[in-house]
Amino acid sequence: MPITFKNVAHTYNEGSPFQYAALKNINLDIPEGKITAIIGETGSGKTTLVQHLNALLLPSEGELQILDEKIIAKEKPKNLKSLRKQVGLVFQFPEYQLFEETIAKDIAFGPKNFGASEEEAFAIVKQVMPVVGLDESYMEQSPFDLSGGQKRRVAIAGILAMDPNVLVLDEPTAGLDPQGAKDMMDLFVRMNKEFHKTVLIVTHDMEHVLNYCDEVIVVKKGRIEKQCEVKEFFESLDLLKELRINPPAIIRLRELLIQKGFHIDSSVLNIDDLAKAVANEVKHYE
Amino acid sequence: MNKIHVENLVFSYDKEKNAVDNVSFSIEEGSYTTIIGHNGSGKSTIAKLLIGLLDKDEGHIYVDNEELDYDSVYDIRNKIGIVFQNPDNQFIGATVADDIAFGLENHQIASEKMQNIIEKFAEKVGMIKYLESEPTKLSGGQKQRVAIAGVLAMQPEIIIFDESTSMLDPQGKADINELIQEIHKESNITIISITHDIEEVSKSDHVIVMNDGHIVMNGKPEEILLREKELVKLHLDIPFALKFTNALKKENIHIDSCTTLERVVEELCQLRSKM
Repeated sequence: MPITFKNVAHTYNEGSPFQYAALKNINLDIPEGKITAIIGETGSGKTTLVQHLNALLLPSEGELQILDEKIIAKEKPKNLKSLRKQVGLVFQFPEYQLFEETIAKDIAFGPKNFGASEEEAFAIVKQVMPVVGLDESYMEQSPFDLSGGQKRRVAIAGILAMDPNVLVLDEPTAGLDPQGAKDMMDLFVRMNKEFHKTVLIVTHDMEHVLNYCDEVIVVKKGRIEKQCEVKEFFESLDLLKELRINPPAIIRLRELLIQKGFHIDSSVLNIDDLAKAVANEVKHYE
Repeated sequence: MNKIHVENLVFSYDKEKNAVDNVSFSIEEGSYTTIIGHNGSGKSTIAKLLIGLLDKDEGHIYVDNEELDYDSVYDIRNKIGIVFQNPDNQFIGATVADDIAFGLENHQIASEKMQNIIEKFAEKVGMIKYLESEPTKLSGGQKQRVAIAGVLAMQPEIIIFDESTSMLDPQGKADINELIQEIHKESNITIISITHDIEEVSKSDHVIVMNDGHIVMNGKPEEILLREKELVKLHLDIPFALKFTNALKKENIHIDSCTTLERVVEELCQLRSKM
């Protein structure tokens, strides 16, 4: 079941003096079962784009196919509830949206809203808490006593509790320390590999794009600038430069070495391969 | 000369657990010091204690050999500027110019002098074109520039950056980091940067590593960043350059352990020329 955008545009405050075209003529096929990074400068339209995926925003023009549901501009969408159960959207700083007295109740809120009984909902809570790295002892604690990273886990558990097929995360690692960020990315990889979820991540972190994602979508000034595999993206050094993206450390080191006359294939993207290439070169001089 | 000297500093938010627990350190005048540690390790608490925003429970803080206390706090606060993490939480003025003026007004600077000062520092951070813009309409990076201009306008001797780039996109981050480096090079301002960015740390003069309210390492980055096992145990990043030196060892290539990419390249060029 595909996710496609056909000639989608989104204009905020249409017809008012504050009218602003945030997305223009978007055509997009988002691959299933993969981890796709959505990147672009602040204000490029990334968040507007992903908020269409569960019909939180509706297109001003064009149409979207999201799994079984079709959303057409100027038409009232049908089956919104089913769509929102299938596409879980985690906002930026989701920890600000926790509201219940206990962690268990907060996570159970979604399933209960979609018709689960009290018992069913709490059975789901017990299943998802370990997935995000929280043991059962947290169930009765207040979510407000947790650290920022833990709160974010609770918020994500609340989305996982609805068992969506597609998981959309808007800057999920912003403000976390390096270990917190790594744990978070490992969690999404697990959701993808083990539970076969399609994962979309809005991010600014190129190390994460390189090390965890399969595909990249670049949004620039409300349009899709590029969509390709991660490997191809990082091989396009001119594009990176044009987008003012500081490449991951491995690429910067590779390029510095090439400048100094080392013969290294410019497709090398992992640390062990780079070490091997350098070793060959140095031994070659022996 | 020590610009800041801290002795046996203790602070607790709840009187049960010390957020800062018997911490002592010195910061050299004109140096660039980075403070790292995971979230909740006490980094920002130290910053707030240094500017007198929080009041210590025990210990001593000296700035230019003057002890920070009830009598000296206003004097000392005049010497220290701080730029916080979230640019949206530090705007007061209706326009960029008003915002830069805010601190100056508080210091009762004559208004005829003020315009010059505002323009000078708006120019310095590259925001001169935006003086009449509303701060809320700026990008995150531009907002942080305005915040920095406001701090610079006060002519501080010390500036603390409390994760000032962590909410910015990569372009904004790079711009602000460049600006901080420039301020450091051009002036004798002592810089303290609380950060998670290991590359920034590798380029600083001095690094303090915090864990659970304590200082666990304190010294030169080129020494501290090589203490791989300890850093990993503290859940901190290690420099890519060091990871790469390790990867080379597996290939039987031995160079000195490095903390910056530039050093790795130098070492490898030397090795190649010896072969």
